[in-house]
Amino acid sequence: MSVNEKFSAIRKGLLEFLVLQIIAAEKVYVADILRQLSSTEFATQEGTLYPLLSKMRREGLLDYEWKESEAGPPRKYYELTAKGREQLRETLEYWSKINGTVKNLGQK
Amino acid sequence: MNKVIAINLDGNAYQLEEGGYDALRAYLETAAARLQGNPDRDEILSDIERAIGEKFRTLLAGHKTVVVTNEVAAVIAEMGPIEADPGKAADPGVNGPGAPGKASGQAAGEERAAGHAGPPRRLYRIYEGAMISGVCNGIAAYVNIDPTLVRLAFVVLTMFWGTGVLVYLVMAIMVPVAVSPEEKAAASGDPSTAQEFIRRAKQGYYKAVKGFPDRKARREWKRRFKRDMRANADQWRHNWHCYWSEHIPIHPGMGFALPLISLLHGAAKILWICGLVSLLATGAVFGLALPASVPVWVAALLLFIAYGILACPLKVARRACYQGLGRPNWTWSFVFLLDAVVWLAVVAALLWLAVHYFPELREAVRSIPSVAHQAADDIRAWWKGK
Repeated sequence: MSVNEKFSAIRKGLLEFLVLQIIAAEKVYVADILRQLSSTEFATQEGTLYPLLSKMRREGLLDYEWKESEAGPPRKYYELTAKGREQLRETLEYWSKINGTVKNLGQK
Repeated sequence: MNKVIAINLDGNAYQLEEGGYDALRAYLETAAARLQGNPDRDEILSDIERAIGEKFRTLLAGHKTVVVTNEVAAVIAEMGPIEADPGKAADPGVNGPGAPGKASGQAAGEERAAGHAGPPRRLYRIYEGAMISGVCNGIAAYVNIDPTLVRLAFVVLTMFWGTGVLVYLVMAIMVPVAVSPEEKAAASGDPSTAQEFIRRAKQGYYKAVKGFPDRKARREWKRRFKRDMRANADQWRHNWHCYWSEHIPIHPGMGFALPLISLLHGAAKILWICGLVSLLATGAVFGLALPASVPVWVAALLLFIAYGILACPLKVARRACYQGLGRPNWTWSFVFLLDAVVWLAVVAALLWLAVHYFPELREAVRSIPSVAHQAADDIRAWWKGK
């Protein structure tokens, strides 16, 4: 099993927090999120993202509004709720803790 | 020339080639099935429809109005498989490193690796790596074993009165060669995109049936699914028909061959009936007495088998003629009518001749009821004795 495969479950779990982070920076629609992720290890597809975004909205982490696009029908632009921001802050804190643990454990 | 189907995605109309429509419908049905029980199901589905519509719109710049099958497949691949339960790590490897756009093969590979059965297989001859005409190769791919084993089996079969050679020849003539990528895929059971999606839709069908809360909804869904599948089957039949009528040259000789073949077939049938009657009436086939050890019913069976062997190639040839004639128009209707008339005339003439010239036959025809009674009594007695 390659490292890549071993991390697939972890990548999947982390995707939610990366999406939080992307949406925190600015109001985005799905194609923006996909584009930002596409060059990273977390490249994903609509088939994964839409169910995830719906789940996060149901949990009250984000909300969306309809905005007209220059060509074609309106798009859903996502933004974080207060709860989403709080969760992102907690997650970042926790992540830096994990990061420290990974770096320091076993070192003398 | 391909059929075009208009669809409605989240309130906007698009025109798709038929193959693309099938693939897209299968994709959306799979999505709906996977999201069964998800509280946001409808919203996610409309999101996905809208995203697909947006991709179609970018493909339809300028005066292009129809999305072709390959483009639909590419869009579906770009969308990626629907993940029913995001955030749960239990679902294995859907979110690999594959960049969007090249994920279709990968997704298919994963499905296969996860132990799902392949798409329905078909028996084809496969020329790649064949020794003679690809029969053994095709069988090996069909049942997924080494071709050498199949070849050995044929050699062994040949030792029994040359059966292997006979079977091989028949298969070499009857079994089609896998030419297109889809056929090659079907020969070995490897998925090829559109078929794979349709297969997944079928798989989704069973999951969906399980997921329905009440029986009424389940029945409704089953009915709809069956109707769709029937429509698919009709479409296939139609495609085959078009294919045959385009690809088989209509040879003028077929118009004459057909009545001739019918005539021979009719003669074989008459021969069989006469033989059977003479057997029942006189205990001998056309004066050829049976050995005492062979009971009458065995002789009748043998007679039937002999008739089958004689009539089989004629039947096949007749069928081939009908198929070769393709779409019947007035001329061909006339040929068919002629065929039927010749056939009936021959039967009638032969019967008349037989009854007229063979008093025994007349006797035999008259004695059929009593013979039948006798046979029934014999069977009853035999059954009781047993």
